[in-house]
Amino acid sequence: MTSAAPPAPRASRRAGLTVLLRRVGAGIGTLPLSLAAALLVGFALTALVSDEPLRAWLALLTGPLPEFHLGTQGWELRRVVLFGAAIEDAITLALLGLAIALPFRARQFTLGADGQMFLGALAAVATSLALAAWPAMVVLPASLLAAMLVGGAWGLLPGWMRVRHGASEIVTSLMLNLVAVQLFRLILSEWMSDPGAGFIATPLLPPAASLGALIPGTHVSAMLIAVPLLAWAAQAMLDRTSAGYALRAVGQAPDFARRMGLPVARTVMLSTALGGLFAGLAGLHVSHALLGRLPVDLPAGLGYEGLVVALLARNQPRAIPMAALLYAYLRAGGQAMERGTDVPREMVLVIQALIILFVVSERLWPRLAEALARWRSRRGAPAVETVEPSPGVAT
Amino acid sequence: MTDTWTLVVAGLVVALLRATTPILFAALGALVSDLAGCVNVALEGLMLVAAFFGVMGAVQAAELWPALPVSAHALIGGGAALLAALALALLLAVFHLEFGADLIVAGIAMNLLAAGLTVFLMASWVGDKGSTATLVSPALPALRVPGLAGWPALDLLVNGEGGRGHPLPLLLAPLAVAAVWLLLQRTPWGRWLRATGENPAAALAAGIPVKRMQYLALLASGALAGLGGVYLSMGYVTLFQADMSAGRGFLALAAVFLGARALAGTTAAALLFGASAVLATQLGALAWRPQLPQMLPPIVTLLAMAVAGARRARRPRPATPEISQRP
Repeated sequence: MTSAAPPAPRASRRAGLTVLLRRVGAGIGTLPLSLAAALLVGFALTALVSDEPLRAWLALLTGPLPEFHLGTQGWELRRVVLFGAAIEDAITLALLGLAIALPFRARQFTLGADGQMFLGALAAVATSLALAAWPAMVVLPASLLAAMLVGGAWGLLPGWMRVRHGASEIVTSLMLNLVAVQLFRLILSEWMSDPGAGFIATPLLPPAASLGALIPGTHVSAMLIAVPLLAWAAQAMLDRTSAGYALRAVGQAPDFARRMGLPVARTVMLSTALGGLFAGLAGLHVSHALLGRLPVDLPAGLGYEGLVVALLARNQPRAIPMAALLYAYLRAGGQAMERGTDVPREMVLVIQALIILFVVSERLWPRLAEALARWRSRRGAPAVETVEPSPGVAT
Repeated sequence: MTDTWTLVVAGLVVALLRATTPILFAALGALVSDLAGCVNVALEGLMLVAAFFGVMGAVQAAELWPALPVSAHALIGGGAALLAALALALLLAVFHLEFGADLIVAGIAMNLLAAGLTVFLMASWVGDKGSTATLVSPALPALRVPGLAGWPALDLLVNGEGGRGHPLPLLLAPLAVAAVWLLLQRTPWGRWLRATGENPAAALAAGIPVKRMQYLALLASGALAGLGGVYLSMGYVTLFQADMSAGRGFLALAAVFLGARALAGTTAAALLFGASAVLATQLGALAWRPQLPQMLPPIVTLLAMAVAGARRARRPRPATPEISQRP
């Protein structure tokens, strides 16, 4: 790559795109550009198979918006179902994003949020069913505690295997996912299934245990308030406490942290356990706010979608609720698109994959800028110098 | 009495081979890329696209060239499957090696891409989001050895259930093991691959084309995982289902770790995982809970990783950092 030359005095306006790409190469504005690029590629793919790609994309981007309508009794909120779905989803995704982001900050690459969520949900439901006769004041805190404890314990395992046995947390957490999903199905179908349900599922949760809806007509619960608080708490923990300092130090410079005498092993385990705790809470949200019971075929794989949230937020806890909302909005838009047009909602998975790819590709945009500049100079337009991307910017 | 037992054993061996084949292919792919220092978590997605494009390619070929025999349609489908898996592997390689994307994150993205794209295209082309059951898609050609009717157990072993013969990929699986062995032990590429994985900087200094080796490793793992995928949708079962790979790609990754990154160990681990899958279906037939045997592969892998770690800890510690160097 060429070294940085002094800025061109009269960069033509036609070089604007190159300049933009260069900025992005320096780490500014990667996210919007990646999002736009992912949507664009997704649109191109849709146009290949759909008869109405424009209408589909319009549905994707505006579908989840609620509608304010002046009715006979004043302003009414309409079309809240999809909007509510986006918010509900955002809550789950934000918790899963926190579950991925915190271990990430300690350089622990756990992919185990799925299993932690399954077992956390199961523990919460078991607790709620066992305490069905008690008032909400007892049932809900006990269920929360159960979800956090079990999720946290399952999250602790990859961290423990890492520090005790040097095992790759990527592989152990993937294995623990496989175990957890089977364990979930075994326990649920063997000991917790409701014979009257018609399908294999736990009995419905008692009213005292279910999280009430804040917005009528949706499943948006008090977790909506809890999630930003949790994200804020996680950020404060990282920024202001000594445990958070150790966590960041272990993540950024493990050797330095060890030489400083920081408790590296304990910090690694803390990070993965904290991640598990948040994943357990996500499980509780799924069971207690969204479904009201747990079916045996609860779809696996949601944990991986926490990854995109963590990446979008660049592993900053405070940014995670917004990133989750953005992604949940896209997912709800996918539902609107599926209902209104011939494009299935799985398109959103493709867009998500593209977002991940574009966001983590540190050299993609600088490379593009370089290629563009070369192409311009070959065509005789004013050459625009390229800038060496600073390697430490991303993450 | 002995006859029934030999029949049962032959049936179990056939079931074991059937269950092992897709995992083995993917595990070989995982091994090749892992030796080159590229942990490929996208095997799941690679299998999925191969399974899907195999079926779609065969159906498309039948529409375009109805005069060709069915086996030709199937082979065209198989070719399409391999191309699709190679294309996805190439995409992963380009994003990792050219654009600096983290391999694990990009691999997970590939899995999401494959899961989304297959269902998206299936819904658009077939009009169904669950499976391609409405389409008539062929199986890959099978090899049938005639004249074994006198030896029922041997017939079952060689020609499979119903005497239809084993589909091509199942017979290719042992050949693939041999091919990987040859590649690793008998060609300079094997040494280069290992050198690339052990210490890329040193390998580069020694004149080994590191980047090209990594490309080759990822593409090879794509082709091998693709063979596993095509076996799923064009072997005994002749349709594509959403999420058909069902975690086999991750099991393949585990097989490499359980097999201590050696070919023999990886093959044995794949057989073990195949056996636990057989156990799960057998127990399921007896109205037992199939979940326990399904838990076996990951638990065995976890235990093996713990044991390997304990053994490593007893040795004098080399200068390896405890924390992975992944940003």
